[in-house]
Amino acid sequence: MNPIFRKLQASFILHSRALDQAALLLRASVSVQLIQGPLTFANERQYRTMPTHGIGRYKHSIPKEAPKKKKERLQMKPIKMATDTEYGTLNVKVSGYDMILVEHYSQYIHNLCNRLGVKVAESYALPTKTMEVMVMAEQGTKMYIDAILKTHERIVQLSQLNATLCPIFMEVLLKNQPEGVQLSVKQHTEADYLDRFKARPELAGLMAQKLLKGKALPS
Amino acid sequence: MAAPCSKIVSRPWWQFIKNVGWTGLNQTVVRQLSRNNACGAAAQTKSKTERIPSQWKLHGAVCLQRLPVISQERNPIEDQFAELIHQMELERSLVSEHELRLLEDAERVRRKQAEDYDSDEEAEYGDQETITALDQEDAWEQKLKKFQLAPRVSDLEDDHQSVGRCLGDSLVLLTEETLGQEKVWLLPQVPWQAGETLRQTAERALNSLPEADFKATFLGSAPCGVYRYKLPKAVRTESCQGAKVFFFKALLSGHPPPSQNGPFRWVKKSELPDYLKPAYLEKVNRFILDL
Repeated sequence: MNPIFRKLQASFILHSRALDQAALLLRASVSVQLIQGPLTFANERQYRTMPTHGIGRYKHSIPKEAPKKKKERLQMKPIKMATDTEYGTLNVKVSGYDMILVEHYSQYIHNLCNRLGVKVAESYALPTKTMEVMVMAEQGTKMYIDAILKTHERIVQLSQLNATLCPIFMEVLLKNQPEGVQLSVKQHTEADYLDRFKARPELAGLMAQKLLKGKALPS
Repeated sequence: MAAPCSKIVSRPWWQFIKNVGWTGLNQTVVRQLSRNNACGAAAQTKSKTERIPSQWKLHGAVCLQRLPVISQERNPIEDQFAELIHQMELERSLVSEHELRLLEDAERVRRKQAEDYDSDEEAEYGDQETITALDQEDAWEQKLKKFQLAPRVSDLEDDHQSVGRCLGDSLVLLTEETLGQEKVWLLPQVPWQAGETLRQTAERALNSLPEADFKATFLGSAPCGVYRYKLPKAVRTESCQGAKVFFFKALLSGHPPPSQNGPFRWVKKSELPDYLKPAYLEKVNRFILDL
């Protein structure tokens, strides 16, 4: 029975294909545009470039899209406080003149934290500070640029450092610290968070003016 | 390397907690305990609180380490790889500003020496500086020659008493003490007194070292290791079966005084077997990192 059904189905599909083709040809003969493209079945939607795209009632049959969220203003992540067994949000700051060493060391710290299971909240870089070393010539008052020193800083922010793991962690860090690189571990504060942003002088000026006006009015 | 260490440290921490919380024991329980090493069993088999003073004396010891000052020497393989990478980076890199200046100056000199040189045609004649890039390079080379680098390997390598030896490795402080009849090398330790925490005992051990004032920062209040030993049968009494030594890690901060007389030795981890007894060494090796 089954092979008969399959044969019947196959023949039916062939017939329907033939009918569609015929219909296409008819439409082609009636309309001016030539419809070129692959054979379309009754259950397929037209592609976007097809002239019939978007016509008719179809929105009920496509999956519903979630409404687009407007991008929220950047908020600071809440700073975790220290508990009895864990430290809160700590900033491990690596700074130095040699960028290669500083970056490699900060990558080493990040990888070490991943291995030891310490959660790394963020890992970012602070802007580079350039220092020009000027040398005064022996005769005369003109200063010549002797050297340009750039201080690079990278920060790895840890969130849950266990108090028992801390001594080992610190020891490993200190033993592997390269020459010329300074390491400092501090607690994260809001001031540190605000340091990352660029100063906006116009906004600061406007705020100052607003404050002055606010002070002037009551008096 | 670091991951196993965390496990090793957390175990003695639990042992420490259980020991400190352990107030009294029967004799029979103590004998059982001396066979198996796990102190977890002791806490569970703790009987009703009879105030028998503990049979084990507590000591606090300090493992003072001097951190490495410079990086270690490279292997031959590491050397070859570093050279290869350096060569590759050099070949792939772009020309820097200084090198551009050198090229421009060379070009200018070549144009000057050409026969049909017209100085009015020189576009940047007004900006020509008196100092060329080559002059600057010469000045820099002179400065480099004047600068003296400190030697990596000093001649204090074999002097086990000096702190300035083996700058690439971390060193541990050992002192010599007389226990019973024999002189033994061990980490500085001091018996615990009632009323102080074990970390304070370790700090006292460091401060009570004769003829040496070391400024050290202690890493955390949790001990990093424990060593338990029983006194020889002749000396064993009712109240004292042996002692437990809790080790605390500290890092040497600042420069120690150059003259250190006294029974001190600064040793690397690989030299520890020459000084310490095997059982002691086994426990101490677990928390001294050789990274």
